[in-house]
Amino acid sequence: MTSNGPGLGRVVTPFISSLLALIAAFVVGGIFLEARGKDALGAYWLMIERGLASPLGISETMIKAAPILLVSAGLLIALKAGVWNIGVDGQFLVGALLVGVVTPAVVDDLPRGLVWLIAALVGVLGGLLWALVPALLKVRYGLNEIITTLMLNYVAVSLTAWSVKGPFRDPNTVAPQTVAIPRASRLPDIPGTDVHVGLLAGIVAIVVVALLFRSTTLGFKLWVVGQSVPAATHVGLPVGRLTVFALLASGGAAGLAGASDLLGVKGLFQGEWQPAYGLTAFALVYLARLQPLWVLPCAYLFSFLDFGGGVMARSADIPTYFVAMVEGLMLAFLAVATAWERQGGMLGKSRWRRARLDAVETSPDPADEST
Amino acid sequence: MTRADALTPAPPRADQDEIAVEVRGIGKRYGDLVANDDISLTIRRGEIQALLGENGAGKTTLMNVIAGMVQPDAGEIRVDGAPVVLATPRDALRHGIGTVYQHFTLVPNLSIVENIVLGTERGILLDLATARRTLDDLLPGLTLPAAPATLARNLSMGQRQRVEIIKVLYRGSRVLLLDEPTSVLTPAEVEGLFRILLRLKDEGVAVLLITHKLDEALAVSDRISVLRGGRNIAELGPDELAGADLPATRRRVVSLMFGGEPTEPVAALPRTTIADERADSPHLLSVQRVTSLGSHGAPVVRDLSLDLRAGEIFGLAGVDGNGQKELGEVVAGQRRTTHGRVLVGGREITNHGVAVAVAAGVGYVTDDRLGEGCVAAGSIADNLILKCIDRPPFARRGVLHRHAIDRNARRLIAAFDVRAPGPATRIGRLSGGNIQKVLLARELARNPKVLVCNNPTSGLDWKTTRFVLQTLREHADNGNAVLLISSELDQLFEVSDRVGVIAAGQVVATFPRRDLDAEEIGRLMLGGRP
Repeated sequence: MTSNGPGLGRVVTPFISSLLALIAAFVVGGIFLEARGKDALGAYWLMIERGLASPLGISETMIKAAPILLVSAGLLIALKAGVWNIGVDGQFLVGALLVGVVTPAVVDDLPRGLVWLIAALVGVLGGLLWALVPALLKVRYGLNEIITTLMLNYVAVSLTAWSVKGPFRDPNTVAPQTVAIPRASRLPDIPGTDVHVGLLAGIVAIVVVALLFRSTTLGFKLWVVGQSVPAATHVGLPVGRLTVFALLASGGAAGLAGASDLLGVKGLFQGEWQPAYGLTAFALVYLARLQPLWVLPCAYLFSFLDFGGGVMARSADIPTYFVAMVEGLMLAFLAVATAWERQGGMLGKSRWRRARLDAVETSPDPADEST
Repeated sequence: MTRADALTPAPPRADQDEIAVEVRGIGKRYGDLVANDDISLTIRRGEIQALLGENGAGKTTLMNVIAGMVQPDAGEIRVDGAPVVLATPRDALRHGIGTVYQHFTLVPNLSIVENIVLGTERGILLDLATARRTLDDLLPGLTLPAAPATLARNLSMGQRQRVEIIKVLYRGSRVLLLDEPTSVLTPAEVEGLFRILLRLKDEGVAVLLITHKLDEALAVSDRISVLRGGRNIAELGPDELAGADLPATRRRVVSLMFGGEPTEPVAALPRTTIADERADSPHLLSVQRVTSLGSHGAPVVRDLSLDLRAGEIFGLAGVDGNGQKELGEVVAGQRRTTHGRVLVGGREITNHGVAVAVAAGVGYVTDDRLGEGCVAAGSIADNLILKCIDRPPFARRGVLHRHAIDRNARRLIAAFDVRAPGPATRIGRLSGGNIQKVLLARELARNPKVLVCNNPTSGLDWKTTRFVLQTLREHADNGNAVLLISSELDQLFEVSDRVGVIAAGQVVATFPRRDLDAEEIGRLMLGGRP
């Protein structure tokens, strides 16, 4: 009767099904590779060897993890509040572009610490502004944020690409890009490593989100809205304001991720740049079952996949989109696993059955509601 | 009964052959709740039978069993004398049983004919011409309500209903189940529907009319079956209905539906109560000429006024869907009004939202326990503080105090006798009765001056029902006002100081405790004139 115990079944079951989804994705991915005449085991081994066992692999993985963690932190807030912010990529780009425009302008006159602070704020502001439109549309007119945020992604890609060709182009180059930030003013590495401090920001963000939902009234209210809008309305929570907050917070976090990448890795905004962390972040946040602290290992795993995908592409002639395929497969398997879990395939049988019975019992005559 | 056999060429049949569908000993349980308990019913050709019963009496469950929507736990169904298994609505249709639901199933952007033939096409080509010919031959005199090419969305409710009826007949149904068919119709449309039903009856169709509107049932039925508490408690055949004196029959059916004689008041509550003693004490709740719109934009609460004094329970009796739920939501701040004012302790809270109503001292126990009353995935402890998340001791400066939340839960679980392993138990795992106790505990812990309860005992066992009523009575006795919305007359009579009847969004009559009259209240609930 593990499932009826307080908590154990609730932790173990999702963990096992997440793990199974992950393994299944790699197995099916491997079958694809074999079918294309590649050596799947060899490729996987190469990925592990270069990614997990080499200092370069570890550094690169950690650098990749920084923006993924920040984007995921924001997504956690949105998804826990029941808001589907598909637009994190757009918010990321707008934040990054603004940082790329503002930072070079202030970099000569201000101390480095202040420059970074301003860049961070500008990045947050950019992402937040890009999320404000869908937030208002949702709360005012009830427009589905999935559509609006998704569409604004395309707008953001085109807008940023156009901006660096036109108004924000570095006048001293022909390439469509912003003025480069001097190396000295970029984010420093964490002492003793090759990893810039954006990673710390990412970890802090995840911890902040964990605390937000563990012990603050704000997090509690967001969670109630995410669980049931009718219940939130019934108990008098300001559903509209909380929804706006959740969307803006996730947009701001995505913008901050943009600032981190721009100050820590790129140094300037190039046209057509779109790292698209969105799908990765979505996949890993779901793999982590919306548990903030689980996101930390999951983010490392996905960054490793990202890096490993590059390795496989260079050394084993496997297309880079193979990793995206594995991520997609994993989401699909996870959906299957959760459905299975819900129907009582694993440990949760009696719990779900009882919840269903109770639901029926409370409305005795299911169709006898009106008149 | 004479049958005009215009359609069926067969000669008049023996009695046995008139039985179209027979259900025997149907039982259906949902968890602890018995929806149908050993119900037997015979549906005859050429006869309109009304299935009467209050909400929760089990009539919809029974209809769904006959329509193949719900599988019974016990009993059997015979069609034309042969036992059948109706596993799906399609099975029922194949055996000639067609159902017209309350909520119509027409596709708005298809024409009448397209809607009728939808799903019956053979092959891949839509042969509308043949379909029209079949329709013309279907039943002489039963015409389409508009040109066949008219889109369904342009039809009135009455017209849509006629299309629904023709649709099931087109599929070969000769047994017609109608679920609350008049609930969406205007009086003139009701007339039209009845004419169609009588016509079908003459053609030998068997009609089962599921309703709680007594007068309509009496107007058109040959036979009335009364369900109460999941049991078929009475059947009035044609001999009893034909030529019987109407008021007497009506009285009899009302007493069958609602449980007959008013129960004697509990000893603790004399016939003259606080409402009489404190006739001039100030109002705790004052609803002044409030109008509020329902989800379809039509007014569901209409120019309604109501005053509650300290110490009284005001029982609001009504058949579901007459605006009582919406009235409760207006007082709770959950629904907006278009006209009128709501005052709590003299303070105006009209359209100020739930938070203001809560702060003014309004408690609201919703009837929608799982839908809006609680967060099913949350713990009991979390659910208990949903209406005071920000208040000390549960939170200070935006930080939750888990110990205080946990202590609060332990105290209330004990005080309200919630059967649960502990405060961390997910509320969705509890039974309906225990969820209800948690919701009640959440409201009463804040000691609201005005407590609105909507059907607080629905689906609860006898013991929990006693507990809930007792708790409400004590809360009122402590100097608060309770608005108890319910369709259970026995319970209302037991604890209320006054009972009002709500019908079509208005309180049509109010009875002080000493003048409670179950028969009259039942009549008013069913839409009778005061």
